[in-house]
Amino acid sequence: MVGDTIFGLHQRRTFKKMVGNSRARLYRMAYTWTHDPYLADDMVQQTLCKALNNQKQLRDMAAADAWLFRILANCLKDHYRAKREVLLGDDQVRVEYVTPETQTQEQQIVDTVRLAVSRLPLAQCQVITLVDLEGFTYARVAETLEIPVGTVMSRLCRGRAALRDALLDTKSQLPTEQAGTITRIRQIRENNG
Amino acid sequence: MDKDNQFSEEQLNAFVDGELDADEKSRVFNESQRSQELDQRLCQQRKLKELVKHAYVDVPAPMQRQDLRKLQQGFWGKTMAASILLMIGATIGFYSQQYIGQQHIVPATGSEIASVTSVSHPVVTGHKYILHVVSGQREEMFEALEKAQQLLDAAAPGQVNEVEVVANEQGLNLLRSDVTPYADEVQLLQENNVVFYACSRTIERLEEKGVEVDLLPEADQSFTALDRIVLRMKDDWEYIKI
Repeated sequence: MVGDTIFGLHQRRTFKKMVGNSRARLYRMAYTWTHDPYLADDMVQQTLCKALNNQKQLRDMAAADAWLFRILANCLKDHYRAKREVLLGDDQVRVEYVTPETQTQEQQIVDTVRLAVSRLPLAQCQVITLVDLEGFTYARVAETLEIPVGTVMSRLCRGRAALRDALLDTKSQLPTEQAGTITRIRQIRENNG
Repeated sequence: MDKDNQFSEEQLNAFVDGELDADEKSRVFNESQRSQELDQRLCQQRKLKELVKHAYVDVPAPMQRQDLRKLQQGFWGKTMAASILLMIGATIGFYSQQYIGQQHIVPATGSEIASVTSVSHPVVTGHKYILHVVSGQREEMFEALEKAQQLLDAAAPGQVNEVEVVANEQGLNLLRSDVTPYADEVQLLQENNVVFYACSRTIERLEEKGVEVDLLPEADQSFTALDRIVLRMKDDWEYIKI
């Protein structure tokens, strides 16, 4: 069987190692999406559980990262859906980051950024953090979140514009978003073959 | 149209994210050398990217795990102290007994010495298995216990297989004293060195819902199921999901 061939002993060992090593990255991502350590940990546990139980679904280890983060994104979506804490439309915001009562000066910038990120709609936050923290390409983000590359780019654009407004005092100097057609962006071209 | 504004925000994002091809990248570079405003826009995009990275270099660890580590450190510290005290006590007790009851000491026979020394033979560890029970179905819980017994029995001569059973979600029923149909079997297996873990996260969830969770005395609840499984898998234990 194809599955058995691909998921042989070596792959199983690699998979186990990969899952173990991914935990910290998954947790960081879950935290940036929720700003709640308990919920983030919960989501990671569910993700790893699902990954372990469905490991045969993963046919290509090179796609393991996107697969794991997709499970995480789906776990969070299911959680919010069940809790009805937030609506899941692209423009809905989530629970805000709670700034600690006591702040060192060094911590202030971190808290300001986290607050701004937590105020972003989840869809924009996910795209920005996957690109900036995990270094995912737009194509990989698209694969992870199961959305078109164009949507990745527009969410990234709106999200960064919101962050820029919140974090950089430069509104007057910034030009408005243009509707220029991007014809030569590598990932799109690759996608179009 | 201004020359500076010939690049859309999406293009500038793609530039700082390394998504443009060489030609497009060169065009942005060339223009940014001519235009201070474009250069400034690029700087801002980069700054935003760096700010996000910087803000999440260190994220708060889950409280539960921090607490658990403290508990474990405390537990091992206390265990070590208790062990030392016990050794001191045993040594004192042994010598004082010899001193007080010297005239009653009967020399041990050869067979008695042999029987005592046979107990201290080192145990050779064979294979290691971690069984994961997620179902509260009676048949599947039984299957887990049966599997644990089979794995113990499958040890090579002179070896002992190590087996742990981790229960979470509905599988926790296996270790809940008020609902498990297999309390005796769990006890029996535990006496044969099978270790049972009840997922602390599942217990928390149930308690949050107002369910009182009463576990069998054999069940250890100091780990979440996943923590235990990942820990064991890292140590090359074989994972078996029931």
